[in-house]
Amino acid sequence: MIAARGLGGFAVVFMALAALAVWREDLGLPMFYLVLASTALFWVAQATSWNVLSGYSGYFSFGQGAFVGVGAYTTAVLGGRHGVDFYLTVPVAAVFSAVLALIVGGLAFRLRSFRGEIFALLTLAVPFILAAFARVNSEIDGGQGVVVPVPEFPEWMGQFQDFLYLLNLLVAVVAVAAAFAIQHTRFGWALASIRDAEDVAEGLGVATFRYKMLAIAVTGLIGGAAGSLFALQIGFVTVESVFGLTIPLFVIVMSVLGGRTHWFGPVLGAVVIVLIQDRLSASGFEGWNLIVLGAILAVLVVVAPDGLQARLWRRPWPAVAALVLVTGVLAVVDAWGTPLDWFVSGVLAAVAVVLWPGHAPASAERRPPAPDHVDLGEIGESTGHSGQQLPENSKINGEPGEVLVECREVSRYFGGVRALDGVSLQLRAGELVGLVGPNGSGKTTLVNLVSGALRPTSGTMAVAGRDIVGLAPHRIAHVGVSRTHQIPKPFESMTVRDNVAMAIMFGRQPRPLTAAREEAEQCLDIVHLGHLAGARPAEINLHERQLLEMARAIATKPKVLLLDEALAGLNPAEIDAAVAVVRRIHASGITIVIVEHLLRVVNQLATRVVVLNRGRLLADGDPRTVMSDPDVIRAYLGRHAHARGS
Amino acid sequence: MTTLQAALSGALVGGMFAVMAAGLSLTWGMLRVINLAHFGLILVGAYLTFELATSWGIDPILTIVLTVPLMFLVGAGLQWAFDRLGVEEFASLLVSFGLLIIVMQTVSNVWSADFQRMPGDVNPYATQSVSLGRFVFPAPTLIAFVFAVVIVVTADQVLRRTFAGRALRAFAEDRAVASAFGIDHRRLGMVLAGLSAASAAVAGMLFALGNAVTPSTPFEWIGVVFAVVILGGIGQVGGVLLAGVLVGTLSAVVSATWSPALSPLVLFSAIILALLFRPYGLLTVRGAR
Amino acid sequence: MLEVRDLEAWYLQAQALWGVDLSVADGEVVCLVGPNGAGKSTLVKAIAGLHRSTRGTIAVDGVDVARVAAHRVGDHGVALVPEGRRVFARMSVHDNLVLGAYRRGARSGLDAGLARVHELFPRLAERSAQLAGSLSGGEQQMLAIGRALLAQPRLLLMDEPSLGLAPVVVDEVFDAIRTINADGVSVLLVEQDVERALEVSARGYVLAEGRIVASGSAAELTGSALVRRSVLGL
Repeated sequence: MIAARGLGGFAVVFMALAALAVWREDLGLPMFYLVLASTALFWVAQATSWNVLSGYSGYFSFGQGAFVGVGAYTTAVLGGRHGVDFYLTVPVAAVFSAVLALIVGGLAFRLRSFRGEIFALLTLAVPFILAAFARVNSEIDGGQGVVVPVPEFPEWMGQFQDFLYLLNLLVAVVAVAAAFAIQHTRFGWALASIRDAEDVAEGLGVATFRYKMLAIAVTGLIGGAAGSLFALQIGFVTVESVFGLTIPLFVIVMSVLGGRTHWFGPVLGAVVIVLIQDRLSASGFEGWNLIVLGAILAVLVVVAPDGLQARLWRRPWPAVAALVLVTGVLAVVDAWGTPLDWFVSGVLAAVAVVLWPGHAPASAERRPPAPDHVDLGEIGESTGHSGQQLPENSKINGEPGEVLVECREVSRYFGGVRALDGVSLQLRAGELVGLVGPNGSGKTTLVNLVSGALRPTSGTMAVAGRDIVGLAPHRIAHVGVSRTHQIPKPFESMTVRDNVAMAIMFGRQPRPLTAAREEAEQCLDIVHLGHLAGARPAEINLHERQLLEMARAIATKPKVLLLDEALAGLNPAEIDAAVAVVRRIHASGITIVIVEHLLRVVNQLATRVVVLNRGRLLADGDPRTVMSDPDVIRAYLGRHAHARGS
Repeated sequence: MTTLQAALSGALVGGMFAVMAAGLSLTWGMLRVINLAHFGLILVGAYLTFELATSWGIDPILTIVLTVPLMFLVGAGLQWAFDRLGVEEFASLLVSFGLLIIVMQTVSNVWSADFQRMPGDVNPYATQSVSLGRFVFPAPTLIAFVFAVVIVVTADQVLRRTFAGRALRAFAEDRAVASAFGIDHRRLGMVLAGLSAASAAVAGMLFALGNAVTPSTPFEWIGVVFAVVILGGIGQVGGVLLAGVLVGTLSAVVSATWSPALSPLVLFSAIILALLFRPYGLLTVRGAR
Repeated sequence: MLEVRDLEAWYLQAQALWGVDLSVADGEVVCLVGPNGAGKSTLVKAIAGLHRSTRGTIAVDGVDVARVAAHRVGDHGVALVPEGRRVFARMSVHDNLVLGAYRRGARSGLDAGLARVHELFPRLAERSAQLAGSLSGGEQQMLAIGRALLAQPRLLLMDEPSLGLAPVVVDEVFDAIRTINADGVSVLLVEQDVERALEVSARGYVLAEGRIVASGSAAELTGSALVRRSVLGL
C-alpha cells in the first residue's frame, strides 16, 4: 500500500528534522537557520492546507487568512484572556476554523451559478468581515490586539525558538502527510475528478458536494492549527497581522509555483518562496518582497500555470545540475555573499531551468501502436476474444421486458421555450432504443433529465421503480443510469485507465483503487482501447475519446446507458467500429438509449426507435415502421415529402 | 430621526461604492475579466489626488483632469496585455491579484504605510457640509453621490444609445455573432477597460476627498464593492447605483441602530441571499438571459 | 458572388469538411441540405469567418475571405442569420436591428434599412421596444433575418431558419426569403426542410459526412432518391 509506506516515510523525515533542533548545539547549527526553517515549515503547513481544497479540487480560495485568523485569535483570546492552557487551545482553534470552513463551504458550494469565481470572491470577503467583527468586538480584539502568553515547554527542547520549530515541524509534517494520504485515496481521486470535470464526476457517482465539504474542512483544520502556532510566533495578534491579503497571497503563490495537483507542490513552493523572501529582506529589499511575489504570481499564471513539481518529476537532472553548479561555482569563487546566498542563487537557477518555456509538458511523445486490426464487423456477435468479456456485470439486470425507465408527462421549459413538452415514455430492460429527431427537438434535454443534469419543469420519472426527480446526479448514477457526453469530457489529469477506474471506484458497486484499475482494463478492452490504457486523454483522438466516454460509462455498471451522439464527428470506418462496440455493450445486458443523427446507424442498431419533434413524442415503434411513418418523414424532409413518398 | 439621517448619509456613501463598482462590473460582464487590480487603480487615484493637491496645490476635484487620461492609458494597456496573453475569467482573477499586491506595495514604498489625508487648506471640501431641511450631509459624500449619478447615467445612456454601447452589450452576450456584425472586440475592449480605469481615478479622488488613505485601504473596499457588483448584476451599470445605495443604506442603518460590528455580517448575509435567489442581479428580468 | 474551392475544416479534433466546392451566382438562392452533423453549419461559419478553414479558398466577388478576420467579413457584403437565431436576448428588438448596421459601411443606410425590415416583418415594428429574449421563436427568427439585412449584404447566409418553428411561421420565413432575393440579395440557405428549401432555390447541394455528394438544379434534386437516402439514411 503506497499510502502506508509513504506515511512511514513522513515519520522518518519528522525524526530527522526534529533531531536538528534537539541536537542543534551539538551540530553547531546557527539559530538563524533554525528560525528560517521554522518559517518555511509554517508556510509549508499553510500552503498545504490551502492546496487540499484549492489545488486538489480547483476551487481557489482567497480566504486562507480567515482560517489563520480564527486559529490565532482562538489561541490568543483563550490563552491570553482566559488563561486556558496553550496545548488545549490548538485543537480548539483547529475545530473553530474547520467550523468556519464548513459554513463557508455549505453556502458557497450550493450556488449553481459562476461557481469558481463566486467562491473565490466569497472567500475574499470572509477575512474582511471577520476583521471588522474582531476590531469592534472587545471580547475578541477591540482594536487593541491580544498578547499571547508563552507556554511552558520541556527543558530538553532548548530555547523558545527550538520549541516553536518543533511545533511547526509537527504541524507541517502532519499536514503534508494528510495531503499525501488524501492524494492517494478515494478522497483525492474524487477531488481530482472535481477539478477536471465536476459535472462528469457527479454523473459517474462521485458525491461532489460531500467531498468538497470534506476538503474545505481539512483546509480549515490545518489552517487553524497552524494559525494557532502563528499566534505564538508573533506573540501579539492584531487584525492586520492575520486578516490581510498577505497570507492568501503567500499560499497561492507558493502552491501555484510548486504545483497544485501534487502534495509535494506546496512544499516545494513554500521553501523556494521563503528563501527568496529571506534573502530579499537580508539584502535590504524588504519593501520589494510583496512586489516580487505579486510579479511571480502574475507571470506564473500566464507562463507556467502547472508549476514546478510536474516538470521537475519529468526532467529532474537539469535542475539538480543547475543547483549544484551555481551553488558550487559561487562557493569556490567566494567573492560575494554567505553560503545561504550561494544556495539560494542555486535554487533560483534551478527554478529558472525547470520553468524555461522549452521544457513545457511533453505530450503525445510515446504513443503505443494499435493492436493488429480486428475485424470489427464481427465482434457484434461477441465471438469471445480472451479478456473481452464484460466484468461480471448486469446480466442480472432483471428479466427482459421489465420496465426500467418510466417517464410520465415530462416537460422542461427554458424561459418561454418548451424544449420538452409532456413526453411519456417507457424503456424496458434489454432494449436498444434509438432516440432521434431533427435539431432542437429535445433529445439531449431528455438525456439531461434522465441523468439528473436538469430537473423537469413538470412530470415524473422513475428508474428501476425508484422516483428520480430531484435526486442528485450521483444518486441517479447509483440507481443505475450512466451517460456519455456529446463532446467527450475526460478527466484530463488522469490516464485513460484511471479515467475508467474512477468510474468503477465511485460506481454502483464501489471498488478500491487496485481492483478498480484491473477492472478498468476489462472495460477498455470492450471498447478496444486496451492498448491506450497508459495514455493521457490529451494524446488520443476524438474517436478514442468517444470510446473512452463509453468505457467510463459502462464502468459504473449501469442498468441503462444513455449515449448522447456518441458517434458525432467520426469517419465511416470509425462509425462502424463504434457501432460494433455499442452492440457488444448491449449484448452484455445493458439497456441502451442512443441519440444519433445518422439514421442509418440507428436503423442498424436499434430494436426500437423513438422520434421527438419540437419537444413532443412523434413516433415510437420498431425502426422500419417508424422510419416510413409519413409524420416522421415530414419532420425530417419537409411538409410535402409524404405526398411523394414511396 | 437619527436613523433616517443615517439612512440618507449611508445612501450617499453608497454612491462612492457605485463609482468604484461601475468599472469593475462592466469589465467583468463585458470582457469577462475580473480585475482585482481595479482596486489598485482606485488606490493610486486617491494617492495621486492627494499628491497633486498637497504638492502642487491643485484643487482636489480638478486633479482628475490629469489622473483620468493617465488611468485610461493604464487600463487600456492592461487590457491589451490580457487580451494578447489570453487572460480571462479565472486566470484574470489571479493575475490581477498579483498586480493589486504590486500596486499596494509600491504605493506603500512611495508614500509610506501611514495614513495620508489632505490638509484642510488644500481640501476645502472635507470640512464643509450641506444642510437640507433637518438633515446635514458632509460635502464629500454629496459630491461623490453627484459623480456617481453622472457617471452611471452617462454610462447607461452610452450603452443604450450609441453604436459602441450596443456593440459592447452584444459582444457580452454572444461574441461570435457580434463579430459577424463587424464588432472588433480588441479595440472595443481596450476602450472599455480604459474607461473603467478612468472611473477608478474618479473613485480614488472621491475617496481621498473625505477620507484618509493607507496602502492597505483597498482591503476594506473589496467586500463591499463586490457585493455591489453582484447585487447590481454583473455588467449592469444601472444596477450598480441601486445596489450601491442599498448597500450603503443598509450598513449605515445597521451600524446606527445595532452596532457597527454587525454591519458587515448583515451585508454578507445580503450577498449570500442575493446569490442564492437573484444570481444575475436584482434588476435582471427573468427569462431574458 | 460566392465561390468556395476545395475547402477543408476541422471541428474539435475531427475533420468536418473535405474538399468542398460550392458557388452562388449573383441574385441566386442556393440551398445546402444534408443530414444533421454533415458539416453544413461548419461550412456556413467558415464562410462567415467564425470558423477557421484549414485549406481552400472562399472567394466573395473574387476576393478570398478565408483568412479575413470575422469582424471584417461583413465589409465584403456577407451577412449571417445564425443557426438557432442567436438574437441578443437582453437587448431590445430595435437595438438588435441597429446593431446589424454596426459596420461602418452600413450605418448610413440605417433608417432606410429599418423601414424596409419593418415593412417585411411588421411585427418587429410593433415589438420594437421589447427585449428580444421575450419574443416567440418565429419573431426571433424574423429579428435575426432583419438584423442581417441591416448589414446591407449582397450575400445572405441563412443557417436553418425553420429550426423549431411552427409550420405557419415557416411559411412566413420562406416568403421573406423570396422577397429578400427579389431585392437582389443572393442567398445561401442551409435547411433541414429539404422540400421547402428546394422550392425557393434555383440550385442545391447535398452535403453528407463533410463532402458534397450531389448537386444540381432544384428540379433535379426534388424527389431525388439520393437526397432522401442521404437525409433519412434509408
